[in-house]
Amino acid sequence: MTVADEGKLNLEEHPPLWGSRSVDCFEKLEQIGEGTYGQVYMAKDNKTGEIVALKKIRMDNEKEGFPITAIREIKILKKLHHENVVELKEIVTSPGRNTDDQGKPDNNKYKGGIYMVFEYMDHDLTGLADRPGLRFTIPQIKCYMKQLLTGLHYCHAHQILHRDIKGSNLLIDNEGQLKLADFGLARMYSQDHSGNLTNRVITLWYRPPELLLGATKYGPAIDMWSVGCIFAELLYAKPILPGKNESEQLNKIFELCGSPDENNWPGVSKMPWFNNFKPSRPLKRRVREFFGQCQGFDRHALELLDKMLVLDPSQRITAKDALDAEYFWTDPLPCDPKSLPTYEASHEFQTKKKRQEQRQREEAAKRQKLQHPHQQHSRLPPLQHGGQSHAAPSHWPAHPTNNGPQQVPAGPSHHYYGKPRGPPGPNRYPPSGNQSRGYNQSRGGYSSGGSYHQQGRGAPYAGGPRGPSGGAYGVGPPNYTQGGQHSGSGRGQNPMSGSRNQQYGWQQ
Amino acid sequence: MLASTGDDEPDLVVGQDLPTEAATPRVLSIISHVMEKLVARNEWLANQTKVFGKSLEAFHGVRAPSISIAKYLERIYKYTKCSPSCFVVGYAYIDRLAHKHPGSLVVSLNVHRLLVTCVMIASKMLDDVHYNNEFYARVGGVSNADLNRMELELLFLLDFRVTVSFRAFESYCFHLEKEMLLNGDASSLQDNRPIKESLSAASSLSTLYV
Repeated sequence: MTVADEGKLNLEEHPPLWGSRSVDCFEKLEQIGEGTYGQVYMAKDNKTGEIVALKKIRMDNEKEGFPITAIREIKILKKLHHENVVELKEIVTSPGRNTDDQGKPDNNKYKGGIYMVFEYMDHDLTGLADRPGLRFTIPQIKCYMKQLLTGLHYCHAHQILHRDIKGSNLLIDNEGQLKLADFGLARMYSQDHSGNLTNRVITLWYRPPELLLGATKYGPAIDMWSVGCIFAELLYAKPILPGKNESEQLNKIFELCGSPDENNWPGVSKMPWFNNFKPSRPLKRRVREFFGQCQGFDRHALELLDKMLVLDPSQRITAKDALDAEYFWTDPLPCDPKSLPTYEASHEFQTKKKRQEQRQREEAAKRQKLQHPHQQHSRLPPLQHGGQSHAAPSHWPAHPTNNGPQQVPAGPSHHYYGKPRGPPGPNRYPPSGNQSRGYNQSRGGYSSGGSYHQQGRGAPYAGGPRGPSGGAYGVGPPNYTQGGQHSGSGRGQNPMSGSRNQQYGWQQ
Repeated sequence: MLASTGDDEPDLVVGQDLPTEAATPRVLSIISHVMEKLVARNEWLANQTKVFGKSLEAFHGVRAPSISIAKYLERIYKYTKCSPSCFVVGYAYIDRLAHKHPGSLVVSLNVHRLLVTCVMIASKMLDDVHYNNEFYARVGGVSNADLNRMELELLFLLDFRVTVSFRAFESYCFHLEKEMLLNGDASSLQDNRPIKESLSAASSLSTLYV
């Protein structure tokens, strides 16, 4: 793909017709996401036949006008053109259908809403990783990591901080391309003249220690911490720092990375919340020691991870330097994205009836989940060598007959469109038994009506500036929501968290 | 299509107790001066050619509000408490519009609505704490629905280019400064510091919690 190069040439002058086309130019094929704050559709361009994702910007809060998060996301995405950054193709408007102004449709040009048109992507990294029975290979992980770092380096070089790097914001298409998505929290920064920025960003599990300690001046290093968490998560096959709240998050970080002091992090004792959170006793750094025992972490992986998960942001490795790490230049080498297995397309042309059935299954799944919360599957650790391995392992529980002929019990969607924002909770691991077809969807689609509070995925966004989101395409809420409202739900009530935490050697 | 300007007049004249000249940042007087000059020139042009251009139609009122540009900006500043930088950035938006749509003229029929929309978007972009559209509508004497529509219209006209880099910001300050000197009015203002300095640290671009 040569999007980047072309884009660079016409940075200033995008197609002049932005906003002039109507959403009617697209045929909505299927709703693939529904959050409290908006919907995402898979749609077809009537003219070209191209498949796109349409993200509706909700504007029913008249008092607020056009959501600031949407303005930010649009203006930033308009600047970025890179093969590892999701492409905002255009913005279309929807003229309100019930025009009552005596046939003067112009008045209501925007009444029906504004849609952002994105290129369509088949999966997101978390969805793919959670796919039952799927395990990534080391060359595949290297390939994704390399693309993630390349995209992020591009953003940082353009003075953009993403501020919400996590698996579900990394979209992957069936050609193995990885793209950064959801720039609703992103912003410009400048090195020379760094102002105060909010520290209420980044999903808790991927939030770096400096933000948790109250830093309001920060830079690209915050995104690199998140990258480190994702890197380790890919190899470890589960999230490495699943804190329930800010203080537990910091504790988990310190237990893994050691306690911060003036030696390893000059200036840390002057951080706003250092005294509230500093560990009572000094803790040793255990990154290499802990992950060294785990499968998948070779010498070079440990070395790179060790440089990413550095407490002091000024000593943390940059995206550019990480790309030069030995890890990416030693055997097994990152594979070519195109060589990756293609995973079955997810959303295609489902009939209304099927969706209804699905909804019923979701309901059943939810009920079942409440009754049997302890059943879980876990991700599989990576394979050491290449090869296709997305077949279900033999120990996988029997799968429902209503899955049709598919062998891989994939949910109908690997997208997290419409999912509540935040790290996964109980739903991440599907309840075994006959609901697997619905489980992905239930993570994604149901959050209207506030049911999100009972579901785990969004919860650890405690105190974050945003509530649930529409997912990788970032159907963000129009307004900043409350802090802390979500804390305590989700992970906090996650019946698995106890058993999961015990898997962490460094915590005992 | 637009809320009748007449209805809004009483609201617009509120504010007899406007801040004194000294309390108003100098940048406001400069911008209103520059805008008044621009409007006067464009009115003359429009009278000659009878062409207003279409792009700014959404901002046209039925008739020009009676409040002066200077008083209108002061009013916005007083009630919304937005940072003075927002006026510079708002001015930058109008400048961008003028360049992008040279056929469309900023005239007395649309200048007020343009200004309130621009300042509001600038404040949304810059200020950590800012009033919502509903409040800006009340201050600006337009309906909430109208302001929302104008906001969208402006965003699309600007092609969502609503970031003003620090460098561009400085050069706009410099430009405004120069305009003032050219007109020989600078001495009549009490505050002779460069605009950039008169934008206090608390309100400058550099200290925005976003």
